[in-house]
Amino acid sequence: MTDAAIRLDEVSKRFWLAQERRTGLKERFVRGRGSKGKEFFALKDASFEVPRGTTFGLVGHNGSGKSTALKVIAGIYRPTSGDVMVDGRLSALLELGAGFHGELTGRENIRLNGAILGMSRSQVDAAMDGIIDFSGIGDFIDTPVKVYSSGMFVRLGFAIAVTVEPEILAIDEVIAVGDEEFQRKCFDRLYELRRRGTTIVLVSHDLGLMEEICDNVVWLDHGEVQAVGASRDVVRGYLDRVNRREGQASHVDPTAVSAPDGSGEVRTGSGDVRVSRVQVLDGEGAESVVLLSDDPATVRLHYEALYDVPEATFGVTFVHESGVGVAGPNSSGQGPWHIEQGVGFVDFHVDSLVLNPGTFTLSVAVANRGHFFDQAERQATIKVRGHGADEPGLVRMRGEWTHVSGPMANHDEGERHGDGG
Amino acid sequence: MAVSVRSSAPPWAYSGLIWNFAVRDVKSRFKGAILGWAWSLIVPIATVVIYSLVFSVIFRTTPPPMANGKPGNYALWLLTGLVVWTGFSSTITTGVVSLLASGPLLQKIYFPSYAPVIGSVLSSLMQTGIELSIVLVILLAVGNVGLSWLFIVFWAALFVVFVGSVTYILAALNVSFRDLSYLITVVLQLLFFLTPVIYPITLAPESWHGIPVRAILELNPLAQFIESFRSLAYAAVVPGPATWGALLIWTLVCLGLATLTFDRRGRDIGEQV
Repeated sequence: MTDAAIRLDEVSKRFWLAQERRTGLKERFVRGRGSKGKEFFALKDASFEVPRGTTFGLVGHNGSGKSTALKVIAGIYRPTSGDVMVDGRLSALLELGAGFHGELTGRENIRLNGAILGMSRSQVDAAMDGIIDFSGIGDFIDTPVKVYSSGMFVRLGFAIAVTVEPEILAIDEVIAVGDEEFQRKCFDRLYELRRRGTTIVLVSHDLGLMEEICDNVVWLDHGEVQAVGASRDVVRGYLDRVNRREGQASHVDPTAVSAPDGSGEVRTGSGDVRVSRVQVLDGEGAESVVLLSDDPATVRLHYEALYDVPEATFGVTFVHESGVGVAGPNSSGQGPWHIEQGVGFVDFHVDSLVLNPGTFTLSVAVANRGHFFDQAERQATIKVRGHGADEPGLVRMRGEWTHVSGPMANHDEGERHGDGG
Repeated sequence: MAVSVRSSAPPWAYSGLIWNFAVRDVKSRFKGAILGWAWSLIVPIATVVIYSLVFSVIFRTTPPPMANGKPGNYALWLLTGLVVWTGFSSTITTGVVSLLASGPLLQKIYFPSYAPVIGSVLSSLMQTGIELSIVLVILLAVGNVGLSWLFIVFWAALFVVFVGSVTYILAALNVSFRDLSYLITVVLQLLFFLTPVIYPITLAPESWHGIPVRAILELNPLAQFIESFRSLAYAAVVPGPATWGALLIWTLVCLGLATLTFDRRGRDIGEQV
């Protein structure tokens, strides 16, 4: 058996979902105790262990039991069944500044919170200057915290929690606080604690962060452990599942793919040809709203033509969620098409999707030399997911990197100039 | 083997935390009020003046004689009992919501649920302590003092544990039955008149239609605490072992019930608040 700092053994946590909480005496008297409501397992026979001195992450969708597991570890919840072993002094960071009292000054709140986190008076006094310094609150430390900005509030909370020198630190989604500079300080501090052998248990939806900072990760789904292991593998597994689910969900709901003649949409044009439906197909030709960067993809525009149109060009515009139009390919390269009265479809196919992960809406148009037959915005939404290493920006710029060093470097530059001429 | 954050640490291991809660409550109580701490003296003094006027002028109640042989002084006699009553009632009223008020915190960090309640009780009783000292100083000034005062320490120890236990039980129940805090206001009002605070117990009839009224009133633990404090401070008489026994039994029973409440309800309170 390895040296575990935390071990959960078949831990379950049951909650009663009461339709209506009977917290009033009257209700109890009038209607009796009533049934306890529907039972619900936030954790179901969850077993995993956290090796001492490692950083451990919990991932899963909302309501998967991550936070419940963290609260069980922190001792806030008692498990309904199973054993929880926590070996070491634990400091839980579930909400920053939760114990602050508005009327008390920053300094007084440091004393109070230090005590809540289990520090003795002398320990708090010894750490006082360090906490004030880390928080960067400055002269405000002797004013009541009710006048603090929200940033100052959480900075002070974080400063107290990480100065406690815990053996085990449990953190729930609270790292990303304050401005850029303070965030960096927080991460530096976390890495420092990690180097010094503090066991860190972390809940976050930031999968990139989890992959980077955690040694091991457990993936929870509806309270059950799906996988435990090296962070990279487990996060990948989780991502794959999420991508697949999202794809399946879109099949069930065709309106998510296209919304022809939906209410309130902007639709202009003469109407000789209308795009009736927009389909997005993934690399395997299956309909999906989730596409992967670098994979093949097809946008299929189904149309209905009321009349014969001798010349028509189809276009589709990819608009990023930030509102930026990323690309607007059209079929003019293939020459105008003759559209006969009736229905049909045109495909726009790419071998490799150059979009970076994000959400994009598709606007479509059918036109001929400046005359619009149809023009409609937001006909479909696609979600682009990455394979891992994300790059900044909206599109993936293809290119080759080469490396030259030594005396050749200067020479090479000259040569290139020559080539260009 | 199974170590948990919820170590079975004894309550005194949390004394630092309890103290910090008490300090928080004391510091925040009068913040924002212009007269601040002065209110903790003005309120009881005003009450004494009002009751003195009503009972010594209108109702002409005769208080028991003082220990120094002088005839009874209603205001002083009232003050000795009223301070104890106020200590009890204000501690309960502020303490009963203390657990609910700590709810957000209890959901984020584990600490025993009695810590904020005892903190609240201590902060409230600190004020009572100050008021009691002032009463004693006044009694000393009029030359009404006795060796019985030494026993006040024991009385105070029992009183603190008694009030603390009752408050914890009510605070824990208030999490599940939120009507309790309103109900308590009404019950306290009734209890105030059922307890010999503003009238001497001798005023109550021994028997009324065959009901032993005075004996029933004397059963009330609060009557016991108030009567015994009056005896110690005002009459300068050490109560007999029967009275001490009653105080001890009441205190231990309430402490036992409080422990039971903590075992049955207090450990999962983080999920209910």
